[in-house]
Amino acid sequence: MSETNLYPGLNLGGGHGEAHEQAESTVFGFWVFLMSDLIIFGILFASYASYLDPIGMAGGPGPQDLFDMKSVAIQTAFLLVGGTAYAGVSLAVKYETGRAKVIGWLLVCATLGTGFLFFEVKDFIDQAGKGGLPQASGWLSSYWALVGLHGIHVLSGIIWIGAMAAQILRRGLDDVVKVRLSMLGVFWHFLDLIWVGIFSFVFLVPLL
Amino acid sequence: MSLDTSPVFGNLDWNVTPYTDLLREVNSSTIVGAGAASMLVLGAIAGVGLLTYRRWWGPLYRNWLTSPDAKKIGIMYIALALIMMARGIIEGFVMRAHQATALGTLTQEESGLVAPDHFAQLFSTHGTIMIFFVAMPLLIGLINFVLPQQLGARDMAFPVLNQVSLGLTAAGAALVMISLLIGKFGTGGWTMYPPYTGIDFSPGEGVDYWLWAILISGVGSTLTGMNFAVTIFKERAPGMHFMRMPLFCWTGLCVAIMLIYAMPALTVSSTMLVLDRYLDFHFFTNDAGGNMMNYANIFWMFGHPEVYILILPAFGVFSEISSTFSGKRLYGYTSLVIASMSIAVISFTVWLHHFFTMGQSAGVNIAFGIATMIIGVPTGVKIYDWMATMWRGRVRITAPIVYLTGFFLLFVIGGLSGIILANPSIDYQVHNSTFLVAHFHNVIIPGVLYGMLAGIHYWFPKAFGFRLSEKWGRITAILFVGGFIFTFMPLYVLGLMGMPRRSPTFQNPDFMPWMYVAVLGAALMLCALASLAWTFWTSYRNRRALAVPGGDPWNGSTLEWSTPAPVPEWTFPHIPHVQARSDWGEMKRAGDPWKAPEEYCDIEMPASTAHGLLIAGASFGLGFAMVWHVWWLAVLSFLAIPALLALRGMRVIEPRIIPAAQVEEADRRFRQQVANLAPVTRAEEETERNRGVPDISEFAG
Amino acid sequence: MTKPNTGELDAEDGAREEIRRYAVGFFASLLLTGGAFAAVLSALPTSWKVVLVCMAALLQIVTHLRNFLHLSFSGQQSREDLLLVLFSVCLLAIMAGGTWYIMSDLGGRMHQSDETGMAAHAMPDP
Repeated sequence: MSETNLYPGLNLGGGHGEAHEQAESTVFGFWVFLMSDLIIFGILFASYASYLDPIGMAGGPGPQDLFDMKSVAIQTAFLLVGGTAYAGVSLAVKYETGRAKVIGWLLVCATLGTGFLFFEVKDFIDQAGKGGLPQASGWLSSYWALVGLHGIHVLSGIIWIGAMAAQILRRGLDDVVKVRLSMLGVFWHFLDLIWVGIFSFVFLVPLL
Repeated sequence: MSLDTSPVFGNLDWNVTPYTDLLREVNSSTIVGAGAASMLVLGAIAGVGLLTYRRWWGPLYRNWLTSPDAKKIGIMYIALALIMMARGIIEGFVMRAHQATALGTLTQEESGLVAPDHFAQLFSTHGTIMIFFVAMPLLIGLINFVLPQQLGARDMAFPVLNQVSLGLTAAGAALVMISLLIGKFGTGGWTMYPPYTGIDFSPGEGVDYWLWAILISGVGSTLTGMNFAVTIFKERAPGMHFMRMPLFCWTGLCVAIMLIYAMPALTVSSTMLVLDRYLDFHFFTNDAGGNMMNYANIFWMFGHPEVYILILPAFGVFSEISSTFSGKRLYGYTSLVIASMSIAVISFTVWLHHFFTMGQSAGVNIAFGIATMIIGVPTGVKIYDWMATMWRGRVRITAPIVYLTGFFLLFVIGGLSGIILANPSIDYQVHNSTFLVAHFHNVIIPGVLYGMLAGIHYWFPKAFGFRLSEKWGRITAILFVGGFIFTFMPLYVLGLMGMPRRSPTFQNPDFMPWMYVAVLGAALMLCALASLAWTFWTSYRNRRALAVPGGDPWNGSTLEWSTPAPVPEWTFPHIPHVQARSDWGEMKRAGDPWKAPEEYCDIEMPASTAHGLLIAGASFGLGFAMVWHVWWLAVLSFLAIPALLALRGMRVIEPRIIPAAQVEEADRRFRQQVANLAPVTRAEEETERNRGVPDISEFAG
Repeated sequence: MTKPNTGELDAEDGAREEIRRYAVGFFASLLLTGGAFAAVLSALPTSWKVVLVCMAALLQIVTHLRNFLHLSFSGQQSREDLLLVLFSVCLLAIMAGGTWYIMSDLGGRMHQSDETGMAAHAMPDP
């Protein structure tokens, strides 16, 4: 087995020796963790679906009253561009184009993530103003829990990006930091994946 | 209650201890409550006193609490589990004693040893402790100790994460323990079904204790599952193909898979209940579109795989000991592997059988009933495989074999009663009766408890360098078997007579004879517990006579028996190259298994760290503060966790290097010792002649 | 993976190839997202819209896994990761599908007065 194709792409390639092999089990472990996380989201999606009926809404406001498609589209755009921007980080690490570039791309990702969060929180506030608080009905509880959990993930992603930038500044791009950047990449793209599910099944389908 | 929440102490005040209850009213119930709290306090004082008197604080901190060594972490898990088990068994006895005195009349409803509310706390803590803080740490501890050694790995894939997992489990256990002294525990049973456990019907701290203990330890278990899975996938010794792994490793893999995919469901259901209770969400409330049936659904999505998380490691242990103590190769290795994996996957498709009577239509019930019956098939395959392994073997009746025999007899009965319950129409008749209680104890005690105790007996010499007393081991095993039979067989009868589970009182005098038998059985279980403690103590005192420095007291065939006992922290002086299934056995067949490696190299071990300890402290603080609404402490503890992670991330952590010379010296000493010790035949295995060097000419397995 | 890495990798070439992959992924996702939103705004029948949104989501998830997360059946590690993801999806399907099956059945039986049809199927006449 040639070691070079252990982690094609996201990852480091043959020139990175030890980091590359360490990446193998660490990043695999992180994938396993994310799969566990995926189950959490999956169950929340299923619950959301089970509360999405007149009984679950309990006479409170429903999707038609609360959801703003334009804002959802803006959030989607932020997250999609932000996710793709991580390619810059991955490639800059892989082809060793310098610390500044890695940090620059990390900041781009964090900024776009923050933009997403801004519109998401704005939506939440608007909805609360229209009576769409999680205390209003079972359906709203499940909506806030699911979308809120994704938002918390994005927030942790941003904090993690900050921590990684600090580590790069302090430690430089050593093997451990490279592996962590790979994990952060998987995490950041994974958030995109979940968001695809959210905008499709939480926002669009109930609006039909 | 929340009206007078103090900003500093939250809801804590002097009225929350059982002593205040005792001062208010003296009766058997408050005496039992205060007595339990006193046992906790005195136990803690005794522990602290002993540690101080023997000056063990330093060694405890340096060698154990900060060690990322999977073997030590495993031992700590098991120690935690045994402490919790003592509480669980005593609670079981108190419940039996209560019901034996609980025959009420229609006019005088309350009777018996403890008050109804106290009784409800007892069955809730008993279930919670036994599942989450006895069975889980026992099996996770055993896997931690054994798995890397059997795979030929130095350590787990993520040693520090492993330490964190232990810390989280211990923090959860500490929350349950402290509920004895400060406040009350929930009364909703170990499943804590809403809406009863919602804030409307269960205000106060009880349910919150459960929720936070479960959430914190649940995260720990998920991380453990991840660690096991990556270790098995990535850290196997060269040549250790999947189909060469010992069966215990296979069951470890199954456990890992189930932990990874089942624990999230528990996290979700508990978090939803937390949101309901703290922030007035409406997931499971009666009003405003809540649906409490969804709780049962999500909870059991975790709950059923959990049952197999508990049982599969025991199956792994039985696979190892049936082969070793019969001196035969394991029969049907491939079928056992397939059966284990099938159980792991099918266990995700049967969860509805825990709530057949919730009201869904017959078609749904039938679908899950059939899946439930199917899962009995691979289990049956396994039982036959073990019996075939022992068939015509030279079986030595050691303590693990006594457990195995008890398991054969009792587990099959338990399994059959499970197949009976898998039929929805029968389940409608006996659900929620003591028949069910008898059924699940009948699978969990002979399965998990016997399996884990057999495993502890089997691997104990590897951990500490001396065997456990066979005589006392067998007495303990027989007491556990007898105690089980007398305690739980009557419950089958009582269930069929119509006695509901969890009832603090009843009015049917016909129940009484069976109740007396059951309390006798519970007393036997207490004796078994004492006997278990005595086994450890007496073996410790005789440790010189029982020492097995050769490291292979049972003439085993898997890799872990190739190393000294107690096993050094680096386990293998040189990572073995595996040539065959049960590699150590094959080397014995080839002659001269104790050949020294050709060269020694420096060994990198993860450096000790207090990371796990700090995370455990922070999460305990978080849980306790949330239970008592001490918001400032909750916020501080919560922020401490990411801060600790970030701080650790900033530091460059160098591994500890053990120089080749040190390894070589220790290893040469071991080889020398093995060469000088007289080999022991299997017939003399129990005698003091067993120094851990078996007669390899006898090896047939 | 369009071509397997072979030890010697030319940085320039490799980088360009990978950027192309990301770009393809990005534009495909953009298109699929736009498609889903457009479908909702269109005048198609509702069931069509649902199918379109679901298809777009599924395709977009596959795109992300392929182009951003580099999962594929070739390459030792990416294959292992992909198998892990597929296994997880199977279990998730059991759990989420089971939840839907159980909860909708219960819902149908609980609220038969205001649900149409469902209750009649679930409850045979006495």
